[in-house]
Amino acid sequence: MLENYIIHIAILICIYTIFSVSYNVALGYTGLITLAHVALYGIGAYTSALLTRAGYPFISGILLAGVVAAIFGFFLVYTTRKLKGDYLAMATLGFAFVAYSIEINWTGLTRGALGLPGIVKPALFGFRIGSNVEMLLFVFIVAVISIAIMWRIVRSGFGRLMEATRDDETGVEVLGKNAFAIKAKAMMISAFFAGIAGSLFAHYISYIDPGTFYLTEIILLLTIVIVGGAASMRGSIIGAVLVVVVGDVLRLFDLPSVLIGPSRHIIYAVLLLCVLLYRPRGILGRVDLI
Amino acid sequence: MAIIGQLFVNGLIAGSIYALVASGFSLIYATNRFLHLAHGTTVAVGAYLLFALFSVLGIPFFVSALVAIILTGLFGLLMNRAIYSPLRKRKASNIVLLIASLALLSLTENIIMLIAGPGVKSIGWLPTKTGIHIGGAIITPLQIAIIVISVVLMILLYLFMKKTKLGRDMRAVADNKELASIAGINPIRISDYSFMIGSAIAGVAGILIGLEQNLFPTMGVMLIIKGFTGAVIGGMTSVPGAVVGSYIVGVIENLGILWLPSGYKDAIAFALLFVFILWKPTGLFGFNKGVKDA
Repeated sequence: MLENYIIHIAILICIYTIFSVSYNVALGYTGLITLAHVALYGIGAYTSALLTRAGYPFISGILLAGVVAAIFGFFLVYTTRKLKGDYLAMATLGFAFVAYSIEINWTGLTRGALGLPGIVKPALFGFRIGSNVEMLLFVFIVAVISIAIMWRIVRSGFGRLMEATRDDETGVEVLGKNAFAIKAKAMMISAFFAGIAGSLFAHYISYIDPGTFYLTEIILLLTIVIVGGAASMRGSIIGAVLVVVVGDVLRLFDLPSVLIGPSRHIIYAVLLLCVLLYRPRGILGRVDLI
Repeated sequence: MAIIGQLFVNGLIAGSIYALVASGFSLIYATNRFLHLAHGTTVAVGAYLLFALFSVLGIPFFVSALVAIILTGLFGLLMNRAIYSPLRKRKASNIVLLIASLALLSLTENIIMLIAGPGVKSIGWLPTKTGIHIGGAIITPLQIAIIVISVVLMILLYLFMKKTKLGRDMRAVADNKELASIAGINPIRISDYSFMIGSAIAGVAGILIGLEQNLFPTMGVMLIIKGFTGAVIGGMTSVPGAVVGSYIVGVIENLGILWLPSGYKDAIAFALLFVFILWKPTGLFGFNKGVKDA
């Protein structure tokens, strides 16, 4: 029993690690103010779930989840390219709300609030994942590969350009670089991995509905990234472990489930407010949020 | 034709509620220059306070309503003092304040859920009345009261902003914070007042919604989206603009049902929000001083 529980938490940590590191690539490293990341994660989850339900293999589902999320990421950066500050934040939050209302209203495709049940477990090269131990191994490998790729990118010359764009966009343009292209690429990379994380989530939980990708999830993601610290990958990994464990610790007590849900969200919100108030750079953050 | 009239009336009723939400939100935005999204749950706090005082404790209705409005105003002050003021003191960016407001929104919503439970509640003060027919549309006395109270409150707020010393100070801070403080206006005091007044108006909105519909803990999110959309359409820093914008949102989303399934009602407001932010972020009335470099 306890073993299964620990494996479950470990799987969630792996998924949230990919998700939060990808968010940090956009928010922390490139300074892209976006609150739409949960929508991109949801788009990935829906893409993958719908494709595999239509009979396509898992591998095409997860890869297309990333690609479709990246396309939406580009759309988001492109449409909001002239906005700054509050307006940029609100436009991206508006994007998340639009995505939610399409997911809930386009019942012909998404079954609306009923959600999509029976999403198959991942299968690769004719081998279908059965137990949660196998699932953990699989998401762990995907997480390691994803983070290694993002790590290489932020450490590359392009990664330095991303950080330069965050710190001084005009300066980057003066050096003859196209700041918009840098932001668009960074966002697409970030969105791609958010889509992958969404796909993993859908195939692990086997059920998704629009409510999974809404406001509470935005708070959770912000808490992980801000507790860990902006522009720090190690921070986001520590943040994911910490926040997922702290959020789930309530389940060890014998509380009725009506209390567990709200209590967990209260813990996330209080944690987020405390970090913003008392340790604005989080555990390992290198920069202030713009 | 009757259906259009009915939808228009429904739009006016919805618009009145949104206008109450948007005017407080826009008042707070104008004087503080950050997006206080937790304003949505402030409405829910007002509604639930009325429920607690009137429906649970059995205190007479008008006393309950008055106490609920005052407490909601103080709740706004508390949020400003406990969270926003310390953040601004250490020069936190607007995005940090926005994230803090989202955290406050989630915190308040879940505290309500913990105390009152996730189910819907109703105030149950007024018996359901049959509507009156006006020009082919049906409207209940309560709905007429909602429209009248909103309009009266908006006029009072307008007069307050134009005629009183405090209102003038608020407009001065909204216009130029540095100049206002040079002229001896204390921006911290103005910030506190704007939170109290804005939140108290949200409390009124909460009470009216509580009488007209059911209460549920997450009711604030949808309201702040609608109110915010109204404020964006009208031009963020203009309280009268926000009111006009809110009526536009209410009417358009209700008339939209003529062409789209009713499930898309909220989607229409979202789409309006997205379109306005992208193409006309200064709003219809263009009272946008200082918005762009915020």
